[in-house]
Amino acid sequence: MTPRPIAAAPAESLESVAFDAALSARIDEMLARYPTRRAAILPVLWLCQERFGWISPGVMRAVAERLGESPAFVEGIVTFYTMFYTSPPARYVLQVCTTLSCAVCGGRELVEHLKRRLGIGFGERTADGSFQLIGVQCLGACGGAPVVQINDDYYENLDAARLDAVLGELEGSR
Amino acid sequence: MPKLTIDGREVEVAAGTNLIEAARAAGVEIPYFCYHPYLRVVGQCRICMVEIEGQPRLAIACATPVAEGMKVKSETSARAKEAREAVMEFLLENHPLDCPVCDQAGECLLQDHSMTEQGRQFTSHMTDVRRTFPRLERRLLGPHIVQNQNRCIHCSRCIRFTQEVSETSALTYKWRGNGMYIDTFDGKPLDDPMSACVADVCPVGALTVREFRFRKRAWKLRSTPSICPGCSIGCNVWIDHHERAVYRFTPRENPEINATWTCDHGRFLARSLNDQAYLYPHRRVGSQLTRVSWGEAIAALAVDLKAGGRLRVVASPNLSNEELYLARELFGRQLRGELAVPVWAGEPRRMKNGRKEWLESTDAHPNSAGARRLGLELVDGDGLSRFLYGAADLTIVLDASVHPFLATQEALQLLRVGPSIAFARAEHPIANVAGWLLPMASLASDEGTFTSSTGAVQRFAPAFAPPGTVRRTPTGGMSPTVPTIASPWGPPGEARPVWQVLVALARALGVASLDFAGPAEVFAQLVKSEKAFAGLKWEKLEGARQGSFRERQHVG
Amino acid sequence: MSGEAVLLRGRGRPEHATLKGYLAAGGYEGWKKALTAGPDAVVKEVMDSELRGRGGAGFPTARKWSFVPKDHPGPRYLVCNADESEPGTFKDRELMEVDPHQLVEGVAIAAYAIRANTAYIYIRGEFVRWARILEEAIAEARGAGLLGKDALGSGFDLDVWVHRGAGAYICGEETALIESLEGKRGFPRLKPPFPAVVGVFGKPTVVNNVETLACVPHIMTRGAHWFASIGRPRNTGPKLYCISGLVERPGVYELPLGVTFRELIYEHAGGVRGGRALKAFFPGGTSAPIMTAAEVDTKADFDACAEAGTMLGSAGVIVLDEGVDIVEAAANVAHFYAHESCGQCTPCREGSDWCVDILDRVAAGHGRAGDPEALLRICKFSSGGMTICPLGDAFALPISSIVTKFRGEFDRRIAAAAALPQKKLPVLPWAGPRPGFGS
Repeated sequence: MTPRPIAAAPAESLESVAFDAALSARIDEMLARYPTRRAAILPVLWLCQERFGWISPGVMRAVAERLGESPAFVEGIVTFYTMFYTSPPARYVLQVCTTLSCAVCGGRELVEHLKRRLGIGFGERTADGSFQLIGVQCLGACGGAPVVQINDDYYENLDAARLDAVLGELEGSR
Repeated sequence: MPKLTIDGREVEVAAGTNLIEAARAAGVEIPYFCYHPYLRVVGQCRICMVEIEGQPRLAIACATPVAEGMKVKSETSARAKEAREAVMEFLLENHPLDCPVCDQAGECLLQDHSMTEQGRQFTSHMTDVRRTFPRLERRLLGPHIVQNQNRCIHCSRCIRFTQEVSETSALTYKWRGNGMYIDTFDGKPLDDPMSACVADVCPVGALTVREFRFRKRAWKLRSTPSICPGCSIGCNVWIDHHERAVYRFTPRENPEINATWTCDHGRFLARSLNDQAYLYPHRRVGSQLTRVSWGEAIAALAVDLKAGGRLRVVASPNLSNEELYLARELFGRQLRGELAVPVWAGEPRRMKNGRKEWLESTDAHPNSAGARRLGLELVDGDGLSRFLYGAADLTIVLDASVHPFLATQEALQLLRVGPSIAFARAEHPIANVAGWLLPMASLASDEGTFTSSTGAVQRFAPAFAPPGTVRRTPTGGMSPTVPTIASPWGPPGEARPVWQVLVALARALGVASLDFAGPAEVFAQLVKSEKAFAGLKWEKLEGARQGSFRERQHVG
Repeated sequence: MSGEAVLLRGRGRPEHATLKGYLAAGGYEGWKKALTAGPDAVVKEVMDSELRGRGGAGFPTARKWSFVPKDHPGPRYLVCNADESEPGTFKDRELMEVDPHQLVEGVAIAAYAIRANTAYIYIRGEFVRWARILEEAIAEARGAGLLGKDALGSGFDLDVWVHRGAGAYICGEETALIESLEGKRGFPRLKPPFPAVVGVFGKPTVVNNVETLACVPHIMTRGAHWFASIGRPRNTGPKLYCISGLVERPGVYELPLGVTFRELIYEHAGGVRGGRALKAFFPGGTSAPIMTAAEVDTKADFDACAEAGTMLGSAGVIVLDEGVDIVEAAANVAHFYAHESCGQCTPCREGSDWCVDILDRVAAGHGRAGDPEALLRICKFSSGGMTICPLGDAFALPISSIVTKFRGEFDRRIAAAAALPQKKLPVLPWAGPRPGFGS
């Protein structure tokens, strides 16, 4: 099984966002779980990120309006939490753990290998939009160090060869 | 009421009071940055550390309510002082230390506390990279606010202000940790009606008011308690002035009216107090205005008034209660004239008081409630027009700026019909038609009381003698740079507050009952004869709490 | 040595993760028992078991429950903290994977004990798969009438929702978690008031860790006495130890509280990788003060760790061997906390990043005399109540312990350091007297 690629909506399409009936119904489901509308902000942002691939200012405005918050408040939330993308991500986002257990168990070498292989640094994406590299803090899977999260999936006990195989598979799956 | 000691001083305060306020009452200043009496307590800055007997850890004074028998050590606690020194060191580690070029200097809490909270043996470890925010170093956050994020100490007061007071939630922290900064959503300007208050609450030079920046060093300013003339709510302000020029209004604490806020409209009226187009009394001879002395003017006017005939007076809700009383007594009762007080609705304004209730303005004048309580007839634009269409032998306009109708061709034509006397300060077309043009002093040179729309009688004090040179503040669109006022220092001019002129007239007419030495005496008469003022005391009108919370404490 | 698997009994048995398999193994018996016994009896049973919170602080669980005001009208909430983010900790993920119903049952019993009709499981955003596993388990349980309106015909209503975080370590701190659950930035709150009185949505709230709640069904089915018989007094019950870093067999081990770190590292985890010498280890995630090889015989329980000047924390043991550069390890830890500081209060926001600056510089060979003292000073004034939440302590304690216990390495590094190349400021040429200013 390979991770589902992210299909990020182009920025132009997200300048002004209206939720369709399906998404709106999911948002209503989330709202029903909490006594306040504000509490649904993280679930709603997650729904939006699943749908659009990232959270544009237009999405923030739409979420703010739906939840009765100011857009600035929503942007404060989006930027506090590291997992919301504020620019369109690549198809596959590689989040490499850089924290202690991973670092001492070969994580550092893995990072070097990835940067060389993809020709990009942390925070960058490959020219074809396939891969994006992010250095992250502890992923909570230290027993399987070193760990890389690709989109939603964890890959543990990695070394250069195993990672290459995974990347090869992802490149082939396009 | 719990009794406690702070640094050995005993104090008794209401239950629920925090240690910062209790200490203030005991005469002990506990330093703080993020605490603000009218904002939610967040305990973020950590400078207000105190030692409480029986507690192993230091406590933050802002979030600690008083308790019976509590023994608090602030200045006398070595541990608390050491902790505060460390907090100062943390805050200054990334601060640009650009006080010489920072306009907040002189009224900056960081600067103040660096004097009181850093030990003499302070050694700086500031040897590593300093945090900067390259795009946010000097930018307009909105029409009135300049942001320099490098100076920010992350106290979140500005954010809380927009969330809790102006209710726009227009400001937020973005990102987190050390790289966190203050911003609006997606580059939107911070342009709500109370936007400039964020600079008031900013304890450092991260947010400053564009219109005031670099106009005057804070320590040069003198402050005089006054009332905002912008609408009927009556926000308490300080007139900050220097050399007979007003530089700004800053909010003056009044929990009942404006807590510690003021709206942008009112705040930026401050500079308009400098408009003084007319310096001397003038009499029209033919089409020309000729300068006369006050003595000549009063004597001649007394003769005109004595002559009798139908007198009509356009009074003004911009005038003080004392002035309106004098006008009513002199023109109405003594001379049997007709009085009307035109009221201009203006834009709707609102203000939040210390209980977080919104107060709405009823009109654009500071004393319409006072006029009403003195039994004067209040008229709108149409009423004013009808008033002027009526026949009269003499018309007196006590304040040319009272209503925009007076500047219309229609009104000027009506005034041309018969003899007229006009009081004016800023340039006004009434100068082209009035038979007498009398220079009126601004609020900054007047003294008296206004009655707010909530019914509070509030006193304002004179800041300086009327200026002796003509000044005009450019009007119209907000240019990015406001020209500085040319130094007006010099002999005072001859503009006078309306009350002085009315008392002089009464004297010339021999009305002994209106021979007052000043507004205080007029007020004493109001207390005696007017129900709305019964029981009030001139000396107490400044309010007990007013001015007790004042961070910008240059000169009182 | 390792006793019977309790919390991890589902390991290697995929069917145990389903409702059918879980029921077959006697699952939800504790829930039924609780519903018959009544909330007060549940609190008493857990009180007697001496169960202590497995999230890091080790606070007695039933006492936390008992702080909820009994006469409080209106809703209360139970929140399960599944925001597992402490470096070196990965037990909760395993629990949710191998035995999701065990957690759901624990959530149900705890919610009932505090009379909460709504429970949220706050799970870290990265755990997409485990959030899905939990959601499926909750749906199954609800479908079987174990949750929802009138659960098991008891008249007690219980909704359980999974709430995903979105990448913030600080949200593992219970008041930050509550703020985050309310839809705000994860800024820890001032205490008091404590969550048991004013918690999520302003209502009484109990926040319990995943492992803590996973213990609860077993206490209900097998009794407080049985639970208390494992481990030693005040340190009772089975415990999940996470071992990572340079050991032969990293992973999660279920052992009675009170095994020594030596047993953990050398017996269970197969010793230091490649047979190299142990240099140091973090006993309970990186926010616990580091321990040296000389301290390896300390018992891995709450009280013994406290006596040794450290803490069991989340029992995330990270093993460092002789080849690890301790300055770099300290820098790595500092980077984590600087990245995760919420930025709210001064000492943590400024101090954590300051530590990064200094440690990176020392690690890069540009250390200066006075750097260790500066680090210790930063740590001293970032901990011990100087900050709103314990994140200040979380970076201050490990870094100050590393500097103190490995001072020699810092000093050697600094003695051999090359000065950082100084940036030269351009010298402006003297332009001569300016016109109009005289000479």
